[in-house]
Amino acid sequence: MGFLGEKDMFCCLPICSFRFTCSRSRGQIRFCSSSRPLSITTTSAPLFLRPLSHNTTSSHLQTFHAWAKSLAFSSNHPDPPHLIRELTWLLQDATSDPHTSFLQLGTTHPIWRVPLRVELKELYVLWKARVEERRPLQYIVGCEHWRDLILVVRDGVLIPRPETEMMVDFVKEIDGSESGLWADLGTGSGAIAVAIGKMLGEDGKVFAVDLSQTAVEVAEINVERYGLKDKVEVRHGSWFEPLEDVVGKLTGVVSNPPYIPSKHIPGLQVEVGKHEPQLALDGGEDGLHHLLHLCEGCLSVLKSGGFFGFETNGDEHSELIAGLMKTRWSGQFRDVKVIADFAGIKRFVTGFKM
Amino acid sequence: MVSFLSKASSLLLRSCQNPKPNRNIRRLLSILSSPTPSSSVASSHARRWIPRQGAAFREISRWREFCSREFCSSAAEESQAKNLDGMTVDDIVAKEWTVLEEDASDWKSHAAAIALSIQLVKKRMQWKKMLIRLDQLSMAVSKSDIWDDPVYAGRICREHGLLMGKMKEVNGFEQELLDHIDMLKLAREENDSDIELDCISSLIQIRRKLKEKELEALLSGNNDSYSCYIEVQAGAGGTESMDWASMIMNMYKSWGERRGYIVTVVDEMPGEIAGIKRATIKVDGKYAFGYAKAEIGVHRLVRISPFDSAKRRHTSFSAVAVIPILGDLSSRYKINDSDLRIERFRSGGAGGQHANTTDSAVRIVHIPTGITATCQNERSQHQNKASAMSVLQCRLDQLEMARQAQMNSEHTRSLTDISWGNQIRSYVLHPYQMVKDMRTNFEVSDPYSVLEGDIDCFILNFLSTSLEKDED
Ligand SMILES: C[S@@+](CC[C@H](N)C(=O)[O-])C[C@H]1O[C@@H](n2cnc3c(N)ncnc32)[C@H](O)[C@@H]1O
Repeated sequence: MGFLGEKDMFCCLPICSFRFTCSRSRGQIRFCSSSRPLSITTTSAPLFLRPLSHNTTSSHLQTFHAWAKSLAFSSNHPDPPHLIRELTWLLQDATSDPHTSFLQLGTTHPIWRVPLRVELKELYVLWKARVEERRPLQYIVGCEHWRDLILVVRDGVLIPRPETEMMVDFVKEIDGSESGLWADLGTGSGAIAVAIGKMLGEDGKVFAVDLSQTAVEVAEINVERYGLKDKVEVRHGSWFEPLEDVVGKLTGVVSNPPYIPSKHIPGLQVEVGKHEPQLALDGGEDGLHHLLHLCEGCLSVLKSGGFFGFETNGDEHSELIAGLMKTRWSGQFRDVKVIADFAGIKRFVTGFKM
Repeated sequence: MVSFLSKASSLLLRSCQNPKPNRNIRRLLSILSSPTPSSSVASSHARRWIPRQGAAFREISRWREFCSREFCSSAAEESQAKNLDGMTVDDIVAKEWTVLEEDASDWKSHAAAIALSIQLVKKRMQWKKMLIRLDQLSMAVSKSDIWDDPVYAGRICREHGLLMGKMKEVNGFEQELLDHIDMLKLAREENDSDIELDCISSLIQIRRKLKEKELEALLSGNNDSYSCYIEVQAGAGGTESMDWASMIMNMYKSWGERRGYIVTVVDEMPGEIAGIKRATIKVDGKYAFGYAKAEIGVHRLVRISPFDSAKRRHTSFSAVAVIPILGDLSSRYKINDSDLRIERFRSGGAGGQHANTTDSAVRIVHIPTGITATCQNERSQHQNKASAMSVLQCRLDQLEMARQAQMNSEHTRSLTDISWGNQIRSYVLHPYQMVKDMRTNFEVSDPYSVLEGDIDCFILNFLSTSLEKDED
């Protein structure tokens, strides 16, 4: 099954032309590529890509683990057992041992040396931030596992959601989706664009557009990490503006635009409201501001028969958009479908331009 | 050169026993018998034989081919291998020659050791059953319409090939033993001590190889070489028994790691206070299923419960099931996508951009059978789904195997089929300390080392007793 191969991904990174070097004296880790070096500061470099330049012992890690566990259970976090799973992932990323076997060794071989990617005391700081400030784990470790990808993320970029993985399946199911020009509007970390880029054949291409400068930088890192520079082109700008040269030529447009109604922003889960960028979340008064703009706009960029797939705030929004496509834009779209996510919420609207 | 000679001569000698020697044999005889091999210097053998080696070799292989076409058609018809004096492997065992250490020079001791090993290997392979199965398969394979169902045909042919290979291997060992005995006698008559020593060292090698085969034969079931899932479920009794379930699970995790397998937690339902309600781990590596299947059943613990403030003695139970991960794709149960319902395991709330969670557990339900699989330990939903899907696939394969009764019935039981009365092992921490297997009566007085994963002795004991008992 594909499953094994996906697990192996972890071991094969970094991928293709991507190299990274570390110059600690300047406090920078650099992502070097043949054409243009991208650099990000040490604090935002993904943990799993940092060199194993520190070390500690199995018993120290066991002590850390016990402390971290008790912090999780004494916090007011709604799901402590899940926090413990995150703790395992933090330790996986901070060491080179995907099985965290050093935790068992703590008792039998207390002075077993474990190489680390951060100083042990830094781990305490990171976990405190996770539990007490409710900082998302993905920002702490600097990556998010999404589909079979490990995407670099950092503050200022939306952490891709599990629901959104399905968008890629929709594209996969379309006949001929491996060729032609595609656009991922509001690409954020580049998640959808990279996943589509990986499926494309020789003559396929994805334009990954975002208004946020940080998103553009992070998307570029991810495109490069997967060796997709000739398949995915990241463009800076608002929605269709950077696509003037390809108007009427696109095979498909996908987007997960900001869709949360403005009034819901203050009440969001702490990890989201306090830590993720507003620009990626706020969908205007009714949450439909960007979505309606995208529906309208995709009619001009898509070629005839072109595909669209949008993620929405759920149920009513999906129904409303699907309804408008039959009324306001009647005769311009066909095969409009509302599709539920795995939680049963009608999350997506897909279809084709006439 | 010497071993070529030994093979050639013994083959020649055996061929002389054939009641109707044909032209090939006569030519073989003439080539091999012209220079009499009598000198005791191996190099002079070599010098004298080299020019003829090519021709002789060609003749021998032609002769072999002829034999295999003419005489080796059916498995069960297979007559027992005999040497020139009409002695079989069983006859050698019956002589009860003393088995000495490997470095002893008495050839009889080596022959006896080899013969005993061959018998044990056959027993463990369930030789008689295997021959019957082989006959059934040969019949099925020879049917003209077999390829009407290519999936079935593929499975049958593969199994046929596999069993054929196993049978030939053992027969090969038997033949080699008998050939070497013949050769030894010949060498002694000819006073050729070089060949005699050479034969003894060959016997020692065969003896060593067979020792390995004895172990391998314990794991010669159809699915034994595959990886597997191990599932543990806590019995009634609340926290104490959930704690026991997690102790058992840890035992398997460290057993797997000790054996060099890759162990991953796929699914885990933690208890409210401690332990687990149930959990599934994946044990990746060769023969994981072959070993782990010995653990299927109910495991019982007796101890003073740390969860009982009155410090009373408690008895708890955990059920263990093991599912093979079939490597052979064509024999797997075919799942229709439309028969599946995929759900987020712990959903709730608005989801999407509203929620940041690393929890992407999914549950997959196979609607026609009601069988489900859950995975929550992967870091992406996509991978949780893939992982749950492979558990589901294996559960359905297992169901299918049970349906076709292809596998020993007790190894196909899923967790829900295991009755709590079926206790296989008892772990007593108080008032005395002992772990005892109810099936074999094998016992160990240090439960802590067992709980740390030292269970190979139990497994091997069970496998050998059950296989050897079965065949008798
Ligand atoms: C909900 S996030 C989606 C990110 C990514 N596609 C994903 O699914 O993880 C929405 C993205 O739209 C971008 N965005 C917001 N307004 C935009 C605009 N006017 N033009 C282009 N992108 C915009 C945000 O910066 C953000 O990256």
